[in-house]
Amino acid sequence: MNCMQNAIVLAILAVPAGAAVKNPDTYTYLTIGDVDNLDPAWAYDTSSQHVIQNVYEHLLSFPGTGLRAEDLAPRIATRVPSRANGLISADGLTYRFPIRQGVKFHDGSALTPQDVRYSLLRFMLLDRAGGPSSLLLEPILGAVSTRRNGALSPDIAAQAFAAVTVEGGTVVVRLDRPFTPFLSVLASFGAVMSQSWCTANGQWDGRPETAARFNDPRREGTLGARMNGTGPFRLDRLDPVLKQITLKRHDAYWRGPARLKTILVKTVDEFATRKLMLEAGDADSIYERQSNFSQLQGLPEVRIIDDLHGLERMEVLFFTFKINPSANGNIGSGRLDGHGIPPDFFSDRDAREAFAASIDYEGFSRDVGRGRTSQSAGFLPPGLTGYDPARCPRHRFDLAEAKTRLQKAWGGKVWDKGFHAALVFNAGSIEAQALCQMLKKNIESLNPKFRLDVRMLQWSSYVEQSRQRKLPIFLGAWQADYPDAHNFAFPFLHSAGYFPTKQGFSDPAADRLIEEAVATLDETRRAALYGRLEDLAAEQTPFVPVFDGTRYRAQRSWVKGFVFKPTFPAMPYASDYYDLYKAE
Amino acid sequence: MLKYVLKRLAFLPLVMAGVTLLLFACLQFLSPEMRASLYVRDPRQLNQMEAIIEKYGLRKPMPVQYGRWLKQVARGDLGYSETAKMPVSEAIGAFFPATFELTLVTFFPILAVGVALGVLSAVYKDRFLDHASRFIAVTGYSLPSFVLGLALLMVFYGRLHWFPPGRYGLETDLLVHGAGFRHWTGLLTLDCLLNGRWSAFADVVKHLVLPACTLLYISVALLLRITRSSMLEELSKDYVRTARAKGLPERAVILKHALRNALIPLVTLSSRLSIGLLGGDVITETIFDFPGIGRWGVQAAQQLDIPGVLGSTLLAAGLFVLANLVADLLYAVVDPRIRVGS
Repeated sequence: MNCMQNAIVLAILAVPAGAAVKNPDTYTYLTIGDVDNLDPAWAYDTSSQHVIQNVYEHLLSFPGTGLRAEDLAPRIATRVPSRANGLISADGLTYRFPIRQGVKFHDGSALTPQDVRYSLLRFMLLDRAGGPSSLLLEPILGAVSTRRNGALSPDIAAQAFAAVTVEGGTVVVRLDRPFTPFLSVLASFGAVMSQSWCTANGQWDGRPETAARFNDPRREGTLGARMNGTGPFRLDRLDPVLKQITLKRHDAYWRGPARLKTILVKTVDEFATRKLMLEAGDADSIYERQSNFSQLQGLPEVRIIDDLHGLERMEVLFFTFKINPSANGNIGSGRLDGHGIPPDFFSDRDAREAFAASIDYEGFSRDVGRGRTSQSAGFLPPGLTGYDPARCPRHRFDLAEAKTRLQKAWGGKVWDKGFHAALVFNAGSIEAQALCQMLKKNIESLNPKFRLDVRMLQWSSYVEQSRQRKLPIFLGAWQADYPDAHNFAFPFLHSAGYFPTKQGFSDPAADRLIEEAVATLDETRRAALYGRLEDLAAEQTPFVPVFDGTRYRAQRSWVKGFVFKPTFPAMPYASDYYDLYKAE
Repeated sequence: MLKYVLKRLAFLPLVMAGVTLLLFACLQFLSPEMRASLYVRDPRQLNQMEAIIEKYGLRKPMPVQYGRWLKQVARGDLGYSETAKMPVSEAIGAFFPATFELTLVTFFPILAVGVALGVLSAVYKDRFLDHASRFIAVTGYSLPSFVLGLALLMVFYGRLHWFPPGRYGLETDLLVHGAGFRHWTGLLTLDCLLNGRWSAFADVVKHLVLPACTLLYISVALLLRITRSSMLEELSKDYVRTARAKGLPERAVILKHALRNALIPLVTLSSRLSIGLLGGDVITETIFDFPGIGRWGVQAAQQLDIPGVLGSTLLAAGLFVLANLVADLLYAVVDPRIRVGS
């Protein structure tokens, strides 16, 4: 017994402080969110998009931290269009993209300009509700959706075909109106796919007359688990049991093969396990938020890259105005009878205001956000047109106010009858869990008839249930697709935007303001319009900005080449793996 | 004995029918919309709940619904699990082998260590060995598995790098998913051996050590205590005194006489233990990132994934019935009065 104990103690002491690079050709990233869908025309969450951006390529890219037009680099296009090089017309409406030759898809076929055209058309015409298609639909067709009254607009496919054409080795895109951030959008969206491969896999065949059949498909009708891009890595395996994605190096990659041979993206729910795997060198980087910072600080051979400012809104609480009652256990009885909530519970402003007044913003920032976060005043991040540093947060922690609001909500019925609902957070998110528990404690303290259950969902189910409007409230974050205020106003407030489609929120006044702002060239006028949108959001409270701040990245010190790219999905946790390599 | 076995086997379908009836009755507390998810085979149907309710008569009397559902279950069609992102029957096939493998490597050591320490503790009552065993029992009984699991992980993986979490390492991952590796049984240790992959076998065993040790330590405690008290009771009985008076060696008195009689409560306990292990220990599976059935079952419950919950519950119920059957048969082996009585 003593010998055994001694052996263990000696072994513990004998472990060297530094260690050689473990698995030098393989990069392992541990996260908390599994992928939702790997179809570039369908996915619009960071977990999925970060994999997509390593497998597929776009016409252009942002290779560094800069986000200005001059920071763009060509990718599948051989040159970045500009007025100076004649690839943007004088009226700013026609963009010409010379397409690179000799690029191979992972299945070995050669990329053609027709593939690029097909990809842009598919991205627009697939157009799932709340998906990313509006990013190209808006500038190219001047519409935020392909549908009118729930059906594909009869002339939309023809318009799209006319707007995106091929001239020899060049793809020509004609915009509906000048749209300054158009090139930035193409650095993250409109990934190039193989038309023949898509068709062979049961996708749209590229003919305008068949587009309607593939419009707004369900998740399972997409290329959600199959990939064939031109990027530096190819999808090797998507393992739902191990919750792991394996990417392998694309050896015929046109920029030259990546230095890493294998990428593993693995979901590990438990923080302690993630931390130990990083410590042992079995993980090269892990997803961690501010609440766990102190536990990672000072770990040997682990490097923390701190104070990274992304172009984003970090944690925002959204209310679902029209909850889907079908097979939905989150709303109890579905009635205001003390055992549930009605599907339109949060259409009552007092109910929303009560929840907003039940969040201890300062305490949250102090305890969960390591003091590196603070309550945000609106949906626009600093640096964008319309952001006003003098704007004060609209909501404050005030349980008396919350009580008054709940006494008024639904004509006093909420207070009399009580309610029972579920607060759902995504697995692994300590912030979301803490917020749900805080809301539960504070709301339940107001009236013994109020009951809130806190429930956990894995990321893909969380995204799916919010998409199906099954979550009464949900916590969301928004990372910029391109550096423009429109990319925040639209997803936060437009009825066809990412969050309002999940909430069932619609305000024609907000839609009008957003459409006016994006078409306005005068920056002062634009700023005023976005200011009015901020006022409108504060007045109606369809969402509550909870906090914002900085992020950090925890990686092994042998990881080299990391570049912080503010619009790269899931930055700074995930990476553009082509940049990375491992060395002592 | 054969008659007894056949009789027990004949009861098996009846018990299973009772279990399914009970489960189905519990389901009736859910709304028809939630029950409709049991009939979803393709997630595209999730937005067609009303049509499914109509088609499967989910507002019809319970016996009609039960008959329909039973037919579906008999075909192995248990619906689609949103949590696992695959049909429930496939999910069971994907998650259960890992738990089964962990049970196989844990169950017999638990029995051996628990019974051995319990017997020694009773034989050497109030001496050092007894105190040591009781210390193990008390700590094992009171230590939460997440504390023990994390402690083991921190020392033996975090510090010593001996036993990593997960089901296997990087090289084994590439190997078992590569061409040429045949999955004969789903049990990776066995499959690695059958494929002649010794290093992969060693890797899989390495990954089993810490979850197995955690389960062993917390499970051995109860077995040890019951064995000890049962043995103490038997050792104080007249037949033991008689055996000793006849001049039988002490070893024979303990192992052949007292232990055999002390085994009956242990059979019950072992049956309960095997059910617990086969159902998967969610905390152990989560801490060690082990893709077993327990973690899936709990995730399904958390996400209100009714087909997933029902599938894992049906599996647990089936295992329970089987384990009880085995326990009944073992009773007959251990105690001849039982088979004579039958």
